Amino acid sequence: MTPHPALSRRALLQGAATLGGVAGLTALTGGCAYLPSDAATTTTALPASAKAVIDGDLVYFNWADYLDPSVFTGFEKEYGVKIIQSNFDSMEGMYAKLQAGNQYDIVFPIAKWVQRLRAEGKLRAIDHAQLSNADQVFHSGSYFVDPWYDEKSAVSVPFTVYKTGIGWRTDKVGTMTNSWRDLWNPEAARRIYTLDDQDEALAMGALLLGYDVNTAKQSELDEIKKLLISQKKYLRGYSSDDVNNMVGGNAWIHHMWSGDFLYLRTSLVKKPENYDFQAPKEGVPINSDAYAIPVNAQHPGTAMVFIDYLLRPEIAKKNIEYLSYPMPVRDAMPAFEALAKDVPACNVELSELESGNVFRNLSADAVQRRTATWTDVRAS
Amino acid sequence: MTALDPTTAQLPAQPKGGTPRSGQHTRLWAALLALPTGWMVAFFLSSMVIVVLLSFGRTQADGQPVFSTRLDNYAQLWDPLYLRLFLRSVSYAVATTAICAVLAYPVAYVVALHGGRRKNLLIAAIVVPFFASYLIRMYAWSALLSDDGLVNSLIVRLHLGGGVQFLNTPYAVIGGLVYGYVVFMILPVYAALERMDTSLIEAGKDLYHGPWRTFWSVTLPATRAGLFGGVLLVFLPALGDFVSAQLLGGPKTFMIGNLIQQQFLEGQNWPLGSAMTVAMMIGLTVIMVGYLRATATRSREAS
Amino acid sequence: MSARSRRVERRPAVAVAVTVVFFAWLYLPIAAVVLFSFNSVKSLSTFRGFSTRWYADFVHDADLVTSLVASIGIAAVSAVGALVLGTMLALGLSRIRSRTGRAVGAVTLLPLVTPEIVTGVAALLLFTGVGLKLSLVTVTLAEITFSIAYVTVIVRGRLAAMSTEVEEAARDLGCTPWQALRLVTLPTLVPALLGAGLLVFALVFDDFVLAFFTTGVSPQPLPVRIYSSIRFGVSPAINAVGTVMLVLSALVMVLALIVPRLWGRKSSSLDLITGA
Repeated sequence: MTPHPALSRRALLQGAATLGGVAGLTALTGGCAYLPSDAATTTTALPASAKAVIDGDLVYFNWADYLDPSVFTGFEKEYGVKIIQSNFDSMEGMYAKLQAGNQYDIVFPIAKWVQRLRAEGKLRAIDHAQLSNADQVFHSGSYFVDPWYDEKSAVSVPFTVYKTGIGWRTDKVGTMTNSWRDLWNPEAARRIYTLDDQDEALAMGALLLGYDVNTAKQSELDEIKKLLISQKKYLRGYSSDDVNNMVGGNAWIHHMWSGDFLYLRTSLVKKPENYDFQAPKEGVPINSDAYAIPVNAQHPGTAMVFIDYLLRPEIAKKNIEYLSYPMPVRDAMPAFEALAKDVPACNVELSELESGNVFRNLSADAVQRRTATWTDVRAS
Repeated sequence: MTALDPTTAQLPAQPKGGTPRSGQHTRLWAALLALPTGWMVAFFLSSMVIVVLLSFGRTQADGQPVFSTRLDNYAQLWDPLYLRLFLRSVSYAVATTAICAVLAYPVAYVVALHGGRRKNLLIAAIVVPFFASYLIRMYAWSALLSDDGLVNSLIVRLHLGGGVQFLNTPYAVIGGLVYGYVVFMILPVYAALERMDTSLIEAGKDLYHGPWRTFWSVTLPATRAGLFGGVLLVFLPALGDFVSAQLLGGPKTFMIGNLIQQQFLEGQNWPLGSAMTVAMMIGLTVIMVGYLRATATRSREAS
Repeated sequence: MSARSRRVERRPAVAVAVTVVFFAWLYLPIAAVVLFSFNSVKSLSTFRGFSTRWYADFVHDADLVTSLVASIGIAAVSAVGALVLGTMLALGLSRIRSRTGRAVGAVTLLPLVTPEIVTGVAALLLFTGVGLKLSLVTVTLAEITFSIAYVTVIVRGRLAAMSTEVEEAARDLGCTPWQALRLVTLPTLVPALLGAGLLVFALVFDDFVLAFFTTGVSPQPLPVRIYSSIRFGVSPAINAVGTVMLVLSALVMVLALIVPRLWGRKSSSLDLITGA
């Protein structure tokens, strides 16, 4: 008698179970990442800095289109290495990829993320002595010698600084009051956009109500939520594509990053005089981002060389002109001043970085309360 | 389904047991099934199990999502706000499905019954655009429909009005969804029309006089299977879409897809996102069961 | 009789009008993408003259080219993987008659009725949970899982339409079931397999949602790259990318039309895609 059919069915089930077990069981028992491990994270000593010596191709991770492309080709030609690019579209996205164990040689975190990554031991030290152009950003008296997010700038080198304000069309809108209330301006009803960004949107509401930009108090968040929902009838949408919304004529008033505004005004529009930018009187969020080298970078030496290259005044000037964001590179600052001469509100005084309006790291609970608030605003 | 046609069956568990041949045979089919079944269990079912488990989870202080046994995530969703959001998404998906059906019939009809030798070419012409990046097509729409875009400048130039605000409205979102998924309605309807006996239409015209009544009484019932298939193929992806609302939507067009995506990428609250996913699947199952029941009754009544 | 057939031939004017408008609407954004990919200035609203600079940008952007190659690779591997697994499944399901078999059949069709965002989220949680590093491999695994059902549906359809007599005859002539399958059934399935493979290739190549949730570092699949640049404003190079993708997809479709004909069959794979 040949094997009974039922046997083969059992065989089938067994086969399936074995295969399923591979993923299923590992997930539910052994190597599962979702098992609680609340143990306090041990702070490890800062991993030592690499020497600024080429040690392979550069694996680069940044916002899309956030450096002048000619800078890449220049570096590749001069040092005979390739730059392998990938992009993130949010800080959380960048963090998730690092968390997942992806290896990059250089990343571009915003200030508070530098602090967080450093605290979690995810960044390598950067020895300023290895950078021949370090003096351009770390000269004595520079704010970045010891910024709030990175003690003694031990793991990061500053990249750009920017503020968030309001861009508007002077040919379409008559009255602006230099206040965040202008995002409720009935003259531009249904032509107003708020940035599709949790921190920025909540900060806008907080500043208008006189609260801290990082507030996580439930009562204050509830007020901000009500305020932001009240804005909906004036809004056309939430979008981070501020430049194209303005260029396409969809936006008359846009909650906007200073650098994006300047880029729009200097390089995209036919009549720049029709566009203006204000930094509302209630205060504005000030931010900066930086270069950093993840601890698991495979080519930290090349990353050091690349950072040094970006600090060359003539290279920084190229990037400033391409991005329209100011960079604290001493000999390249005049390039930005020339760019921003008609819109002084776009300029960022470094002293403003010491004001309270920087986005800081908060506890997981606080972040979740803020996220829930923003989710409710978006969902309603 | 014809695959379950009993005439081709090799009933393996018959009392006589297998002849050597059919035993061998059954083993072959079982062996063939083992690998793909194992694959689906390992990569699909187990992933769904994890979603359900994590929906009761929480986020640790270090941001790591972990399993737990809490109902907090569901409690957070128990809010009229989210019910409204779900209903909004469903209404967009229903509108999308309805518009797709209204569009699909005439197009499929013309191609199937009047396409002649170019039939295949026409179907290919309908399918090709859907394989050009969905994202780029959506972005192209947002550029075309913008206030200074091509469509509005045409309207102004032709003196049809002072320009229309298309972008950032629910209509734009639904339009984007229709554009994105209409092919999934056209293909099954087309297939059903192709299979249909055209003499039925003839007879219908003789019987009912007039194309509309013929359509309602003959064509529609005869192609019901295709329509029902198309409804599923359009409704499901439309309900989960987040690109259209993101690129074409306004302040009040957030959909479930956007909500879930936000939890996973910006909110970094995977347990809450998992709960949303589970809730959506439950809502969807309710709708599907209702739909299947309704269509099953309809088919029984018709036959 | 002639009056009758003339009446059948008469085209329904409303339907034809709708069809014409439909095609215009279908191709309007595509025409815009192609047109602006040749724009000489960095504008997505005004065309100021012909230029191929965005194609040059695209070709010189090594990373974008790598993404394109990665997407082609993912699509090709997924097509082969889904084809093998989906065909095995279809063959097994079409012949096995047990409750288990039917349950398996139902489960394998689940991805077809699951919104992609759910599949994507679930795949992300699974891969992260078992500590699998996100990469092109995870994208491919997820895409295969999602595509198996398409192949199964197409192949089962074709199997159902096929008579089992030839296979049985082969076995009467002394073939083992495996030989009968290999020598008789599989060759008959070739056009269906090709059609299904091309369909999966095209679907995966343009798939964004699954790739978005399961991708790792570089290289990222092309649709993911496109998404990051769209969120913060687009460079016309993206239009060049879109045009290239369109041309590639059109080529795949042409193959789907032609290859089965070279096989000496009247029906093309389009019939499989449409299910006709």
